[in-house]
Amino acid sequence: MILRARPFIRWSAIAARALVAHPTPNRTPVICLRRGLSTQDPEPRLPLADKFTTAPLEGNPQSKHTNTTSTTGSNDEVARLAAIPLPSLTLQDLVRQGYPLSSQRLLASARYTRSILPIRLAKHILALRNLPFIIVSNPHISEIYNNYIYSLRSVLQFPNNHPTTLAEEGQFTQMLKDIVKTHSNTIPTLAKGFIECKRYIDPEEVGSVLERHLRTRIGTRLLAEQHIALHEAFVGKGVKDQHNGEGEEESGDGYIGTIDTNMLPSKIILSCSEFVGDICELRYGVRPKLIIEGHTKEKFPYIPVHLEYIITELLKNAFRATIESPTLTKTPHDLHESQQDDGVGDGNLPPVIVTLSVSRRDGVGGGKVLSVRIRDRGGGIAPEVLPSIWKYSFTTFDPERGRYYPPSSASTSAMSSSASSPSSSSQYTYSNIHNLTGVVDDYSNPMNVNLGMSGGGTIDALNIASDTGTSGGSSIAGLGYGLPLSRAYAEYFGGTLSVQSCFGWGTDVYLFLKGVGVEDI
Amino acid sequence: MPNPLPSVQWRALQTTLRRGNSTQQPAAIALTPNLAPNLRWRSSSVLDSYVDKPARPISLRQLIFFGGRNLDEVRILNSANYVRSELPIRIAHRIRDMQKLPYVVVTNPHMSHVYDLYYKAFDTLRKVPEIKTIEDNDRFCSIVKNMLREHLTIIPNLAMGVLECKDLVPAAEIDRFMNKLLRSRISRRVIAEQHIALTDTFNSPFHFPASSAFQQPNSHPDFVGEVFLRCNAKEVVERCGKLAQNLARDAFGPDSPVPEIEIEGHTDTIFPYILSHLEYMIGELLRNSIQATIEKHHPASPTTKLPLIKVLICHAPQHIIFRVSDQGGGIPPDELPHLWSFSKGARSQARLENFARVPTMAATMQELLNSHTHTSSIVGHQNSINMTARKVGSREESSLSSLTSRPPNLRLGIGLPMSRVYAEYWAGSLELHSLEGYGTDVFLQISKLGNKSEQLTLDGL
Repeated sequence: MILRARPFIRWSAIAARALVAHPTPNRTPVICLRRGLSTQDPEPRLPLADKFTTAPLEGNPQSKHTNTTSTTGSNDEVARLAAIPLPSLTLQDLVRQGYPLSSQRLLASARYTRSILPIRLAKHILALRNLPFIIVSNPHISEIYNNYIYSLRSVLQFPNNHPTTLAEEGQFTQMLKDIVKTHSNTIPTLAKGFIECKRYIDPEEVGSVLERHLRTRIGTRLLAEQHIALHEAFVGKGVKDQHNGEGEEESGDGYIGTIDTNMLPSKIILSCSEFVGDICELRYGVRPKLIIEGHTKEKFPYIPVHLEYIITELLKNAFRATIESPTLTKTPHDLHESQQDDGVGDGNLPPVIVTLSVSRRDGVGGGKVLSVRIRDRGGGIAPEVLPSIWKYSFTTFDPERGRYYPPSSASTSAMSSSASSPSSSSQYTYSNIHNLTGVVDDYSNPMNVNLGMSGGGTIDALNIASDTGTSGGSSIAGLGYGLPLSRAYAEYFGGTLSVQSCFGWGTDVYLFLKGVGVEDI
Repeated sequence: MPNPLPSVQWRALQTTLRRGNSTQQPAAIALTPNLAPNLRWRSSSVLDSYVDKPARPISLRQLIFFGGRNLDEVRILNSANYVRSELPIRIAHRIRDMQKLPYVVVTNPHMSHVYDLYYKAFDTLRKVPEIKTIEDNDRFCSIVKNMLREHLTIIPNLAMGVLECKDLVPAAEIDRFMNKLLRSRISRRVIAEQHIALTDTFNSPFHFPASSAFQQPNSHPDFVGEVFLRCNAKEVVERCGKLAQNLARDAFGPDSPVPEIEIEGHTDTIFPYILSHLEYMIGELLRNSIQATIEKHHPASPTTKLPLIKVLICHAPQHIIFRVSDQGGGIPPDELPHLWSFSKGARSQARLENFARVPTMAATMQELLNSHTHTSSIVGHQNSINMTARKVGSREESSLSSLTSRPPNLRLGIGLPMSRVYAEYWAGSLELHSLEGYGTDVFLQISKLGNKSEQLTLDGL
């Protein structure tokens, strides 16, 4: 995380300087394009975003100079690409593309990715460049804008209907990894940018811009990561092939790219709770007990990182609420129960109960659906806070007061900040989790995903511990999009996420996901 | 539905049914002659003048204070005249709503039955002169009582009418119509029954009916007219739970295990509410949960312990929340989208249509009609029972007697939408979350009654 964060800081500094030097875009006609794709040169070189670039994007990304003074014209490659309708991405398609894995399939996947990715990136660019000038001039936002331009150029340097050879595929995958890495901090950066632009843009609009961006981005990211994962699986399998001969199927781990056909939700919930529990122990010295009930032994084919992200966010809310408002709901019965415990350190807290249900749908696909209920006794959510839990709460961030509004009572279980300790929320940032799961290499070996959770968690928790002393000014701490982003993830493949609060008692959160092959009703 | 034929058959069958019906329900039948549509035409100018007047909403708090402890003649007469002037206005609005429906819908036998009942009620009520004496009031009360009884056929008729007309009007539109009509019906019954109860209290001040039911003579000051000041959340759940459990035992046989009900949370919660409304909602929710749990684990040996139904009572500053969690397998995904609709929904629809298609089921249909009448209009019904029951002194059983009388495995698909209308009527809500394949959680949120007015204005009255 630190490694990645550093260039960004410099980057925004450069952008800011450039802005000061060139207050209007017309004064900055010369744009240095980011050079090459070599990883030795990760530093972005653009002094300022080419906000309205219309230069031909196809071809050599080393054509360094572009003129921004021209406006959108008929040869606007971004507009052309963005206008192409996107085929919807289904889990079924992802499975079909990657199973069984062969060199032909891998190349087909690469070519598919090459054909779709530019459209998606162009749509991102289009959305950003339609924002008011003053917004995109913001260093953070222009940084993201440039990242997209850069990524689009990178993809387009591979001609259409390529790659055709495994060697070329290797380069292509390397490029994808590079892109994914470049964009791993997009959301926090954008959020930061929007906070700085707060007075120039309506919070509602920020919400909807970010929401759209986020949702599209889930697909874009998944597209790239799916191919990378297939590549890694193929490379891993290639060694195997020499022993077992061609035609041998999967190594049996059940992974098809990023999809785990043997995913065990209870296992993921458990590992997420370990991770969140560790944070709680560091931060509060206690760790609420977790009970998993229902269909705990049922498998559910899905993308584990998506489920991990959602569950981690939800458990963070549930655990924190449980810890922060324990007296409200503790009953003599609970006290009695936990006293019989051997004192693991749940602080006599009422347990968080996760109920799992996996159900098979009739019909063509015969797919499964997963329902998860996370029930805590953390006091529920105050009615006046309830309407805003799905908003990106940074839109109500007040930089002068340095805290988040509404500064609700201790029972705002679903909010990611509390008024009394603004820095405490720094542990619950998307970027922490995101970087854990977002590191490309995690997907190459499925084991890493699971192990990475708890292992990475410790590192994170340590980072947090050192952060806690500071005011958290430089971090994107507590931007409060855990809940809306979780919902975006849940809804991506047709699922739902809803919250039901019993104020004064606790909160129930319902997550519903459709697995591979579930038809829409 | 590709074929309009079933609907035609429905009507033909309906005619025969009604004839068979007439021996048992002469009062209702007398109102549904085979009038040619043109005979139903009435001058609308009288109606117009009433439609022009807005309904005057009343809050629960006002209802409580309307009677108060110092019930005297002036208060009774005031209350009577409020009801006398308010009822025809509210009915007029609903008649106008019906008049705006497509001709084909209102000529449906069920719908025209409802229309006629409404028009008759409107005509009767508007002609009642100002109430100046207690004797006037007694006469007025008997008119209203008769009307309440007569109107018990309205909900089943509406339900069937709506189902039959589902292809003629968009579902959303007919649901909107239903909601409006039902809310208005609740409002009218509340004010009418409140007044009748006040009158009863006034007439028999030394024989206060609630005392024997509660076995604490001094509890009666808490009870004014139709409005209970004190509803004990836990007791209501226990009472409705027991009845629903007994119902299940009757339906599935004495050997069939019945799920236990566990109550947790703020079990000492007491709040003001209309008890019959609360009992109806809680009763429906528990019925659903018990039934689903039994069916999910069917067949089960008598010794099987079915998973608990957990009821949480949460006493929040502004609300009382009842959360009913069962492990009855959740809601089938094809039913989920139409759960709250009166006119849509695969299963209940199929049931009613099946009844219509099989002539030999006519007897069952008869039962359905009857039971339907009882349960759907449980609130009105049980209130009228209440009044007699109070005098007998066994209020507790009688208030839910209609619940028990309903054939238990008869799924009509209107329990949930009806309950939601009741919940929303007093600014509450009803929400449901299904864990597909596992169970269902239902959240009933009751507003603690402050100065919140009835939600009438939302209906554009």
